[in-house]
Amino acid sequence: MDAFNNLMYGFGIALEPINIVYVFVGVFAGTIIGMLPGLGPISALALMIPLTFAMEPSSGLILMAGVYYGAIFGGSTSSILLNAPGVAGTVATAFDGYPLARKGQAGKALAIAAYASFLGGTISVVFLMLVAPVLGKFAVSFGPAEYFALMVLGLTAVVTLSDKSLVKGLIAAVVGMMISIMGIDLQTGTERYTFGSAHLLDGIDFLVVALGVFALAEVFYMLLSGGGGEKQPRNRVGSLKLSKGEVKDIAGPIGRSSLLGFFVGVLPGAGATVASFLGYGMEKRIARDPETFGKGNIKGLAAPEAANNAACTGSFVPLLILGVPGSGTTAVLLGALLVMGVSPGPMMLEQRPDVFWGVVASMYIGNIMLLVLNLPLIPLIAKILDMPRALLLSLILIFCMIGVYGTSFSVFDLMLLLGFGLLGLGMRLFGFPAAPLILALILGNIMEESMRRALQISGGDWSIFIDKPISLALLSIAVLSLLLPLAKQMISRRHGKK
Amino acid sequence: MTRFNTNQVLGLIIALVAAGYLAMAFQIPNFALPRPIDSDLFPKVLGFTLFGLAVLLFLEKPKDQDIPDELDSEEQAKPLLLRPWSRIVITSLAIAAYALLLVPLGFVLTSLTLSFSLAWYFGYRRHSVNLATSAGVVLVLYLTMTRGMDVYLPPGILPF
Repeated sequence: MDAFNNLMYGFGIALEPINIVYVFVGVFAGTIIGMLPGLGPISALALMIPLTFAMEPSSGLILMAGVYYGAIFGGSTSSILLNAPGVAGTVATAFDGYPLARKGQAGKALAIAAYASFLGGTISVVFLMLVAPVLGKFAVSFGPAEYFALMVLGLTAVVTLSDKSLVKGLIAAVVGMMISIMGIDLQTGTERYTFGSAHLLDGIDFLVVALGVFALAEVFYMLLSGGGGEKQPRNRVGSLKLSKGEVKDIAGPIGRSSLLGFFVGVLPGAGATVASFLGYGMEKRIARDPETFGKGNIKGLAAPEAANNAACTGSFVPLLILGVPGSGTTAVLLGALLVMGVSPGPMMLEQRPDVFWGVVASMYIGNIMLLVLNLPLIPLIAKILDMPRALLLSLILIFCMIGVYGTSFSVFDLMLLLGFGLLGLGMRLFGFPAAPLILALILGNIMEESMRRALQISGGDWSIFIDKPISLALLSIAVLSLLLPLAKQMISRRHGKK
Repeated sequence: MTRFNTNQVLGLIIALVAAGYLAMAFQIPNFALPRPIDSDLFPKVLGFTLFGLAVLLFLEKPKDQDIPDELDSEEQAKPLLLRPWSRIVITSLAIAAYALLLVPLGFVLTSLTLSFSLAWYFGYRRHSVNLATSAGVVLVLYLTMTRGMDVYLPPGILPF
């Protein structure tokens, strides 16, 4: 009954007229930004952060949650219409969504994506409501050693689940941490890696890195791989209606993938990408017609869509309850929360119930908005993708500039943005994943602080990390998750030689 | 002499960065009062880890995704200023110029110039649509940020 009362309290906050406007604006802006090639939830959230400065934290987070959902759905749109997934989370959507659009059923494909996203999101919010408080009580027993271990696990999970080289993922994570500790050390006041520049005393803002490595690097990458051009290819939208048989067909996959997606989303590092691939794989494995997957099977579209939205909700559990973001996107969200003066963590449920339950309630409202807003807009949405790429790229640049300058008012940061854009391009060209870098950048400071606090408690004795059972278990899982892919590689190499 | 592969070149560069980083970590001054853990510990751990990873990368065989794709030969045959890498250089220079001129000329003028001229350079030829879209987006952004959200953006030489 507690959860119900709390939820009602949350609805009281989320249903305040101003917060409804924020959910609406968030979902709408997220959908638009998510649809733009290359701009996924991370860029969408980063671009919206300046808007949240003057807001109440609960309103700010409600807006951001809307943006997050909207961006994931928007990303599916470009996957389906152009076979151009803006983000990894919607790659699996393109497997069957794009063939459907090619068959002239783009409207139906987008409608299925909207329904599946809505249901995936809604089902997982129910789980969030039930699971989060339990997990919160457990999390209160976490000391600095356990937190450090949990963050190591989160980082290794992001690194190991990427499809790129493990070593390169780890390098990206270490570089992210190196960037995060630049500036004045808050514990001792010592300057570290400021190169004598006053601009670096406060360190480097994560927004500069996020916009550089994701949005600007994507612009550069597009310029390198074909440049502007007048128009993008057009697609026919077709009807949005589903038959009774089709509804029956997608009901099972949506239910199963929503559950799977939520629990995968809760695990640090797993997130929407893994959830969508697992959902797709599961449905293909149990389907009676697996041979039609990849050729426009509606079950193959509904499953990853439900899973990725459910995972988005799931990823709020570690973020809000443990204060540990499980993905690059929630890392940006954590940054936004810290900017607003809210420190998520085990005490959040008690200290800021308005933020927590307001966000949970706004997820319900956000999901309904997503459906109400997107279904009628589908034909119009498809038209935005017709915007000439040359014009689009130059406008994305302006968005990046205003995002950075509007937060720091520093020309130096604009130069840094350019530097990180070029770094992001280099990383992309040479197969370095960007998500571990951004996650490590956000976690680096907290990780160092936890490590130092733990070592201070133990008087400099490193065994504190293995003496505590939770910390030992988390670190063991982290080490195993790093060793398993290596062991697999070695085994497959041996088999190859034989 | 054998040639280094992509991962080996990257490994060497990253090892050099790690060495430089470590050299700086050893110069971080100690805190006046003795503490079990000082500011230099974490950077040292990071520096040695990066060095170790650089060695592992040096030993790792590059896969297809580690090597940049060959650029389109049609794109390469274009005039120098329109080739793919020229586009990156010119866009980077434009961003740098934008950063330097933002405060003296103001947000509206610099942003409008950047957006319009880059869209033109990237190949968009409908100049009136380009001008209208760029001006519309820049003005809406400027007015929303400065009037709606009280975020300061430099007005420069324009009176508003």
